[in-house]
Amino acid sequence: MTHRSLRYALPAFVLMSVVAVGADKPTTFETLAKPFIEQHCISCHGQDAQEGGVSFHELSGVNADNAELWKTVWEQVALKQMPPRDEDQPTLMQRWKLSTWITGELENALREKGGFSLHLHPSKGNHLDHDLLFGPIPEDLEPPSTPARIWRIHPQEHLTRLNELITLEPEYDPKQPGMRTKGDHINPNQDGEVKVYFGLDRVIGWVGGTAAYAAAITGFPPVLTTDNHHGLQNYANLYSVNGAEATQIANNAENILRFMAHGPAAEPYQFADKVTDIDARYKHGDLRGLAQSLFYGKSAKRPLTPVSDLFNEEGVSDEKLTAAVNYLFEALTCRPPTQTETHEYLALLKEAIADLDKEEGIILGLTPIFLDRDALFRPELAEYGTPDKFGRVMLQDQELALAINAAFSYIPPDNTLKQSAIAGQLKSRSDVEREVNRILHDDSIRKPRLLQFFREFLDYDRAGKVCKDGRALIQAGGEANSQNHYRAMFGMTANTDRLIELILQEDKNVLSELLTTERVVYNKASDAAYFGEFISPQPPPKPPESTDKKAKRQPSRRVTIEPADLPAGETVHVRIAQVVDVGKAGKSNRTLTTLPNDQRKGILTHPSWLVSHTDAMDNHAIARGKWIRERLLGGAVPDVPITVDAMLPDEPNETLRHRMRVTREEYCWKCHQKMDPLGLPFEMYNHLGLYRTKELKHPVDSTGEIIDSGDPELDGPVANALELIDKLAKSERVQQVFVRHAFRYWMGRNETLNDAPVLQDAYHAYKESGGSMKALLTSLLTSDAFLYRKQGLRPTP
Amino acid sequence: MINRRNVLKGAAAGIGVALGSTIAPNMLQAAPAYRSAPKRVIFFLQNQGFDPATCVPKGLKETCELDGVTLPEPISALEPYKGKINIINGLHGRHTSPSHSAFFGALGGYRGGIGIPPAGATIDHEISQLLPETILPHLCIGMDALENMVSRPTLATLSATGPGKPIFMHSNPNDLYQMLFGGIATGDVRDRFEARSNVLRKIEQLAGQHGQSLPEADRARYGNYVAGFRDINGLREKLESVSDHLRNFAPEYGDKFLKPKFETDWHDSLLELGIATLKSGITNVLTIGSGRGEIFGAWKGLGITEAGHNLGHMEQPDNPIWIKIRQYNCQMLVKLMQELESIPEGDGTMMDNTLIVYTSNNANKQHTSGENWPFILLGNCSGRIKTGQFTQLDGKRPVNALYTTLLHAIDAPRDRFNMDRNTASVHDAKVGPIEELMA
Repeated sequence: MTHRSLRYALPAFVLMSVVAVGADKPTTFETLAKPFIEQHCISCHGQDAQEGGVSFHELSGVNADNAELWKTVWEQVALKQMPPRDEDQPTLMQRWKLSTWITGELENALREKGGFSLHLHPSKGNHLDHDLLFGPIPEDLEPPSTPARIWRIHPQEHLTRLNELITLEPEYDPKQPGMRTKGDHINPNQDGEVKVYFGLDRVIGWVGGTAAYAAAITGFPPVLTTDNHHGLQNYANLYSVNGAEATQIANNAENILRFMAHGPAAEPYQFADKVTDIDARYKHGDLRGLAQSLFYGKSAKRPLTPVSDLFNEEGVSDEKLTAAVNYLFEALTCRPPTQTETHEYLALLKEAIADLDKEEGIILGLTPIFLDRDALFRPELAEYGTPDKFGRVMLQDQELALAINAAFSYIPPDNTLKQSAIAGQLKSRSDVEREVNRILHDDSIRKPRLLQFFREFLDYDRAGKVCKDGRALIQAGGEANSQNHYRAMFGMTANTDRLIELILQEDKNVLSELLTTERVVYNKASDAAYFGEFISPQPPPKPPESTDKKAKRQPSRRVTIEPADLPAGETVHVRIAQVVDVGKAGKSNRTLTTLPNDQRKGILTHPSWLVSHTDAMDNHAIARGKWIRERLLGGAVPDVPITVDAMLPDEPNETLRHRMRVTREEYCWKCHQKMDPLGLPFEMYNHLGLYRTKELKHPVDSTGEIIDSGDPELDGPVANALELIDKLAKSERVQQVFVRHAFRYWMGRNETLNDAPVLQDAYHAYKESGGSMKALLTSLLTSDAFLYRKQGLRPTP
Repeated sequence: MINRRNVLKGAAAGIGVALGSTIAPNMLQAAPAYRSAPKRVIFFLQNQGFDPATCVPKGLKETCELDGVTLPEPISALEPYKGKINIINGLHGRHTSPSHSAFFGALGGYRGGIGIPPAGATIDHEISQLLPETILPHLCIGMDALENMVSRPTLATLSATGPGKPIFMHSNPNDLYQMLFGGIATGDVRDRFEARSNVLRKIEQLAGQHGQSLPEADRARYGNYVAGFRDINGLREKLESVSDHLRNFAPEYGDKFLKPKFETDWHDSLLELGIATLKSGITNVLTIGSGRGEIFGAWKGLGITEAGHNLGHMEQPDNPIWIKIRQYNCQMLVKLMQELESIPEGDGTMMDNTLIVYTSNNANKQHTSGENWPFILLGNCSGRIKTGQFTQLDGKRPVNALYTTLLHAIDAPRDRFNMDRNTASVHDAKVGPIEELMA
């Protein structure tokens, strides 16, 4: 790692600002923006010529009134949309300087008017040109660091920690990988609901079906929220916790504490060794959906902790109160409290017990710990180290341990990591490397954050959330019962999760494997239709009368499809619904098998990804193309101007490709050429993901083109999605863009030019290791960007 | 004499975010084209569907006046109020996938379903942000089987402030009483209220301390968190500051709260609390979920021994059980109207400036596809809505069109509610409010 420090061994006088590139004179409108505009813009956007109704001749500095115009200039310049191709082009560095100046000025100008932070949003990460980051590194670049900050924890992280308080999750079993294990993501159930349930591990039966069960069992959904958009969602600067969320946290805390103390709130008759022991009168149908219709095993399964001791043992003592406070604090914040913190919460607890009785007092008195800042935000403040000559402080001890832990896990650090922090063995880059390596190679330490990255990067987890029009669903080969469709989609999302885990387990050419694998995790009963082929919109011929019960159970369809017939494959476990598979643990209806390679290749051809990029009625070729442009090619398109009426014509008897002809108008095509030709090759699948060779009676047109990718070797026409995927999977640039996204996810911010060395190192680590995610992560998590914090600095684009 | 409006005007000012709300409301005042302006809207949703045969008077096929028509038995309690209601048949909610319940989709006008998080703000929340500001703009109460109200005192299935942001219904009337009237209570309730207030103040203080050393860029974001506690504490303090006024409206805190014999005792108590918040002017939108948006629920106090999902599997027309449940609903509606009529407001009464929207969270029946979704509107919303009428629509307009109509009725017009043009091209034949309903 010494090469990093050598690279920054620069004279101190050039390192005065964040990025000192060309900082020889102050950057102002007069010195920077005006000359740029005069040279590159004014001939078309001046007093005499005002193309597109845009003119700059009266433009001065950035202010609140002209902010919209400047925002447009920023995007056009940063994304090389302007000046037009046939005009003189500014250098990448000139573009970068102007873009950075504009966003900085917008921040200042709008500070009192709601602020400007669009450039810090994940969707704007690619506004920093790829070739600047992966080209020669400017000589006078300050070394990377990340602003000191607090990072609101992920909703799943919050939920998982609360779950740990009330559920005794099974330890990892290497013989049954894929089974739900302590520390795993809380997966949605078959209807897409994410929830933690009280007493789930103890339920032995109930009255009624799954809906009755879901209504009867008490639980809580994630309280914290993230934006519901495609792409990376959890940057450090994006979220806070609002009053409504805090109120719910307090309410949940009360229920959690009661459960920690006493287990399920139920009548004595609800507890038995087996359901048959329970009197028939307690199994009446009228009880369906009521709390008393659940039956629990007799032995306590919840974690028994100092908190339950405090409730259940006689009296109260300082010792027990302190133990309960310390236990709960560490479980919720992932670190032991300081003495002051113990003291503060102990005082609150005592006061509450004095005001009320013991039981109610404990509940009220412990609730504040659930609302401690560090139970909801993870601090990376680096308040105690000595700044280096660049003003950077390396994270250390607890903060560093928690940062490393949070890169993988939602629950507190394992004992080894915890002890390293306490023993002062977490001070240097090599200490971090040691711990990161250890964690990466230990499967018993669950790494839900790793899977979450692929969910956000690939966007395959939205299929069940796309609301389908009933008729469109049936016409595309779906079942008339739309609920089955959504369940199949949530199921396939879980299958894709598992496939990714299997690919990560092998850890070879990870990205390329994700894009091109022939393998699939498959549930024949629900997935065969979706992985099959759409044959014709005519109803299938009536099958001969059959006595075969299985054949009778096949759902009837009003169109003709050929369900997939895949090799048997090996059985694999998939983590789905906590709530549905009660009592069926150990069984799995999923297999790992292979897909026909003339129809599908990699995750982008699986219905989970395809349907995630559709709308109610049809495919969404623009969304698919945008995904490839952003996530694989590292490009971007500016926000749609508010004046654009972005609607395709409503022509139900025309193909999507034909309806998209409107985007070819000159004004639209400038942006749409970056998306449409990348998305249209996927027209070889319909909007439920079924493969097709015909569309509206004609051979389906799945041609497309890679235009202006930044890598001339990539550019050119493609016959279909499979060819497109093949080309992309081989591209070095695509791998670099993947690395950029990994950087963003794990650093919780967009990269800046200063991060170029970190990105280049990470890419080399990935490439030289043969596409190992472990190598990529080790490089990122031992980088300056991950380790160093700087006070009073905001990320610069 | 206390002037209700002046007391509350002072109290409401400065409260940005109340419990259950996440957006600082920027209140709009109604345009003064009418003599008075709408001030409150009540939503009442019974679960398991609302069969048109139980609300459409026999033989009616087209829009007509209700004068001279006899209301069906399940809603006969509304007979004296015939001139003040509008029975609507022929809206649809196919796009909300109701089946067992459309959940958030019922008031949101989008796809709902068990466990599916809300896709956007629901109409009740939206309206609560547009009506004249009050201390606690939106209160949601949910009625269920007693056991479930005890084990799950708050539940969110019907209302939302935005995508993924559900609003919790209060179902334990004791907790709700403490929240609303803790400041004027005595004994145990008072003690708990005081202890809780004390802890919440400490939390605010601690949170504030932990924000002091933060980098500038994070201070505002963390400030939102601290502000959340300030609002929670602020709401309580605002309620306390008008406690003398509230005292006049607080329901009697007795056995119906503390020792309920049947769930209906708690249903009644919750309704009383809801009425108290409306009459005292601290709330402008009340949402009542009878059966709490799910497919269960019990009404043993009405002599109905069957409970839960079985009720949904029964046909509603001519079914003595469903007649009892619907009549109980209608008695609640009558009580709401009578109570609001008893309080003068402007030249008339509170009811004159109120609209009650009665329907089901599940269109017309159990296992429905949402092809028909009957509603009853009660009150004319300061003269904006036609009443004394049965309205038959053609099945081509969705519930969203009714919600758009409500927005027009409260002087916050817009073309559509929660429906983009793409979806509208399939599901809504027109743009804007339902003209047949506008006065």
